[in-house]
Amino acid sequence: MNSISIQAPRAGVLVRRGRRRVGRGLPAALALLPTALVVLVVYVGCMLWTVRLSFTGSTLLPRYDWVGFAQYVRLFANDRFLTSAGNIVIFGILFITGCLILGFLLAVFIDQNVRGEGVLRTIFLYPYAMSFIVTGVAWQWFLNPGLGLQKLMRDTGFPGFTFDWLVNPDMAIYTIVIAGIWHGAGLTMAILLAGLRGVDSDLWKAARVDGVPAWRYYLSVVLPLLRPMVVTATVLLATGVVKLYDLVVAMTLGGPGISTEVPAKFVMDHLFERNNIGLGTAAATIMLIAVVSILAPWVYARYVREEGGRV
Amino acid sequence: MNPGIRERLVLTAVGWIAAGLIFFPVFWMVLTSFKTEVEAVQTPPSLFFTPTLENYAAVRERADYVHFATNSVVISLGATLLALVVAVPAAYAMAFFPGKRTKDLLLWMLSTKMMPAVGVLIPVYLLFRDFGAIDSRWGLIVVYTLMNLPIVIWMLYTFFKEVPKDILEAGRMDGARPRQEVWLLLMPLSLPGIASTALLSIILCWNEAFWSLNLTTSAAAPLTTFIASFSAPEGLFWAKLSAASTVAIAPILVFGWMSQRQLVRGLTFGAVK
Repeated sequence: MNSISIQAPRAGVLVRRGRRRVGRGLPAALALLPTALVVLVVYVGCMLWTVRLSFTGSTLLPRYDWVGFAQYVRLFANDRFLTSAGNIVIFGILFITGCLILGFLLAVFIDQNVRGEGVLRTIFLYPYAMSFIVTGVAWQWFLNPGLGLQKLMRDTGFPGFTFDWLVNPDMAIYTIVIAGIWHGAGLTMAILLAGLRGVDSDLWKAARVDGVPAWRYYLSVVLPLLRPMVVTATVLLATGVVKLYDLVVAMTLGGPGISTEVPAKFVMDHLFERNNIGLGTAAATIMLIAVVSILAPWVYARYVREEGGRV
Repeated sequence: MNPGIRERLVLTAVGWIAAGLIFFPVFWMVLTSFKTEVEAVQTPPSLFFTPTLENYAAVRERADYVHFATNSVVISLGATLLALVVAVPAAYAMAFFPGKRTKDLLLWMLSTKMMPAVGVLIPVYLLFRDFGAIDSRWGLIVVYTLMNLPIVIWMLYTFFKEVPKDILEAGRMDGARPRQEVWLLLMPLSLPGIASTALLSIILCWNEAFWSLNLTTSAAAPLTTFIASFSAPEGLFWAKLSAASTVAIAPILVFGWMSQRQLVRGLTFGAVK
């Protein structure tokens, strides 16, 4: 129902009186053309261009020589890149899991017919409407040991309270996870809530007759029914993971040291500050390959399922 | 589920506490923006104080805030309008005249949304340099339009699908030309959907920082760039930074509150009705 799914075109749609169909169908196809071209030329073209550049020794300006895999060899010997890659994996896993858990709890909660549901839903969703820059700024202050939470707790009578993750190289990446979850949990909530609303309330009555506790009901009965919504939410969250950049820039600028570097920032830094287009594009290519290899099985599965199932 | 009255009161209380916790960082930021720099870092933090507008005045003077805000408005609205102009005919074609490849094309376009933007950054930057588009409003408008186009088309497509075909067909029988069909029938009928889509596009443009940080310096820089330039790693000028951030999120918070339904539907990419 409410999931983001691409429906197979219905067979009957095209069966109309012949001439009218041609008359309407042609401009329709023309309307699609610019979009299709843009997708093809801009996205695919630029991606291929990036890949090509990654095999050159370009520095400040692009050159079109051929250095083979030299940039990739350098890339995988680069601490900064390896840290970035590790960080994006940590962030991705924790961020998606965290958002799903918190979002599910919030959705279950709102599903109890609480008062002011519409208002609460909007408040929970608000963080998602704010830019990562502002999110980063707000959390940078909140987690700053000298200004925010730690100071607040110490001032109000907990002198031993310590929360210095933001300035601790080992923990700083987790502060970015926290800010990210805060940003994305509301979106997950809204999507899962739509799914919860579609669950037949008779199921709960039946479960109650059988003496099933509420938590068990939600975990074993409802959650499996929400699978399409969980998939939708995961896909949306995953696109956020790939884009992780502005949050880091606003919160830590990659620091302390290089502890919160992420791949997108690595590419930017090498393009603009370090004048190393070759290495930057090599890192970008690795990112493209990573995303495609995660995406491909999913798209493939989807195709096979839809083609085999409905058409 | 329908819990009893007492449970319900408890649940409502818990809900508001959760909402308060979630909203706290924002609330605190807004509060800080009305304090002086000294009060902002005071011990213990003051909840009651004489509000001051000096930070807003300072922000305005120091960095020509109006200039950045204007850029944000022009670019967001421009890119949204341009995206709608391209997307409405495309979505119309896909929803009412689907071909064999329509589904593939949609999936294709959506998948570009999942690709990392850094994958195309360097070529786009080089193109921008050649066309003199760096630090120009129209350059950002074009990039934002391309960036949001797949989502905008996808959302309009789902909304158009909900419009009963019979109505459009009746219009056709009465001799409506394709343009009339779209303008006089389809658009009015799916107005809430178009509004959700436009709102989403505006929010995405408004919040965008990846491209604006890298493709603009000052002339066309929007608010996100402005705030990022304010953000000192040690939290200096905290009150001023709060004021700048508050100003940047205020339109979205107010606008979003007025159109909650559209906001929820837009932010979830049309998945929630």
